[in-house]
Amino acid sequence: MPTKEQLKEYAGKLMFDMKEEEYDTLQKEFDVILKQMEFIEKIEGIEKVKPMTFPIEIGHAHFRKDEQKNTLATNDALKNAAMVEQNQVRVPKVVEE
Amino acid sequence: MNYMCKNIDELRAMLDRKAVTSDLLFQEAIERAKQYQEAYNAFVTIIEEKKEQDATSILSGIPYALKDNISTKGILTTSSSNILKNYMPIYNATVYQKLESAGAVLMGKTVLDELAMGGTGTTGHTGIVKNPWDSSRQIGGSSAGSAAAVALGIVPFAIGSDTGDSIRKPAAFGGIVGYKPTYGRISRYGLFAFASSLDHVGCFARNVKDVAYVINIIKGEDPYDMTSLPDDNKNYVDTLENEIKERKLFYIKEAFENYETSEDLEFKETINQFFKTVEKVKELGFIVEEVSFPKELLSAIYPTYMAISCAEATSNNANLTGIPFGVRGEGNSIHDVMMDARTKGFSELIKRRFVLGSYILQKENQEKLFHNARRVRRMIVDKMNELFEHYDGMLMPASGGIAPIFGEKTDQLSDRYLILENHLAIANFGGFPSITIPSGFVNDMPIAVNLTGRQFEDDVVLNMAYKIEEITDCKDQIAKGGK
Repeated sequence: MPTKEQLKEYAGKLMFDMKEEEYDTLQKEFDVILKQMEFIEKIEGIEKVKPMTFPIEIGHAHFRKDEQKNTLATNDALKNAAMVEQNQVRVPKVVEE
Repeated sequence: MNYMCKNIDELRAMLDRKAVTSDLLFQEAIERAKQYQEAYNAFVTIIEEKKEQDATSILSGIPYALKDNISTKGILTTSSSNILKNYMPIYNATVYQKLESAGAVLMGKTVLDELAMGGTGTTGHTGIVKNPWDSSRQIGGSSAGSAAAVALGIVPFAIGSDTGDSIRKPAAFGGIVGYKPTYGRISRYGLFAFASSLDHVGCFARNVKDVAYVINIIKGEDPYDMTSLPDDNKNYVDTLENEIKERKLFYIKEAFENYETSEDLEFKETINQFFKTVEKVKELGFIVEEVSFPKELLSAIYPTYMAISCAEATSNNANLTGIPFGVRGEGNSIHDVMMDARTKGFSELIKRRFVLGSYILQKENQEKLFHNARRVRRMIVDKMNELFEHYDGMLMPASGGIAPIFGEKTDQLSDRYLILENHLAIANFGGFPSITIPSGFVNDMPIAVNLTGRQFEDDVVLNMAYKIEEITDCKDQIAKGGK
């Protein structure tokens, strides 16, 4: 069972935070989820099975032809950004003084 | 006149003989959408202005709705999340583009469970979606608004997405048909990804033939989606009447253990009715047999789904930073800006699912949880494929009961929950075509059967579903709330 501190660390890695009481709810949820996960571990011979990634096995990779195509226009790319300056998305200063 | 309660054949005939215009249909669709919005909350956006089109197809001039996690250029697309509540796409999803090219008329974008992660229709940023048969109950999710819009007779069809059962479960609770085709049959370009190895685009309608009309238009290979399949060049409407005698179906014995002694009368009645439907299906000429499926695999469906989907979701939604698009957070560094945007932009449920995904992907848990879930996935799919060597499809109740009342508690470790409420995810694990067909009523609420077939055999599944629909007496039904 993960501790509250571990849960906070996982949330931090995903770049968000939660309220204290939300971590409490999450811990209770983990109690049920980990019991459900035990059903997976109980399956006999599981270690011999190859993990499945996609429903349809893809025998070969499809590569696009190396042709130049129209890419996103600058004004389109900037349409949804909250802060724009000199045709670029503006963010807080990255390099600290 | 109530045109929007008619099916596609009827609307096409009326449009062709000019008994009605597309403008009038559009007008009626948005009026009905507005009329029911306060009571059921099916829409994030109702489109006020009709886009003119001059294409000719079976769907031309007919209004429809799209789930709000499907990209529509210049039309707000929120995925029912606060972090995207201002997002205006700059490109069209292929499914939308195909419907546009066929002349179908988009009239609204429908509410979903936030980012399509949920099965209740209660987590969208604009509020909960209610069941048009009984507003004290859920319609289910995540394609909640699309299901409600079709059940209410606002549109004859709507597009949804399905990662675990997100089309087929709300279809069951809404008394309509919901179809998820073979993985890759419909392009997912422009669908906001939840769990890429499980995500499908599909549709809702009030009968199987209408579903076949819509899938004919939206299927096909797409250079923008590397997982899309080459078109099978089949017309699914043409094969609906094919002979089904001697077609073999199975149902899983372990799903119904002890139901006869259950104290839950709704559950008992749902299963009793399922077996009555099975008898009628046999009378049609199908062979239906009971098979045994390893119980440990059935009990592992839900945790397998959770492990894979939450892990994939944490990665797919890493692009939601609020910087290039979405709601911008506050802070003095990029890190703080993103933290603030994601902390404020995601609801509690989404965060809990992401943390679970993160936990599963931690180095120390990966082998035990993530890779083992992927192994179970293969075992379940292999077992299904083994059964499909002898059978054309699996026939099961779509749920063990009727739509839940809001706030109703479920025992998430019970067999009924783990198996009957989650077996629809098998079709996502294996990419199998799968359809839910309304089959009757329990306590005045709709119940449904689900039919799942072999990969690539969408035509066979629709053909069998079309025949089964004949004996249900639920074709073209409109929910009580929409009458």
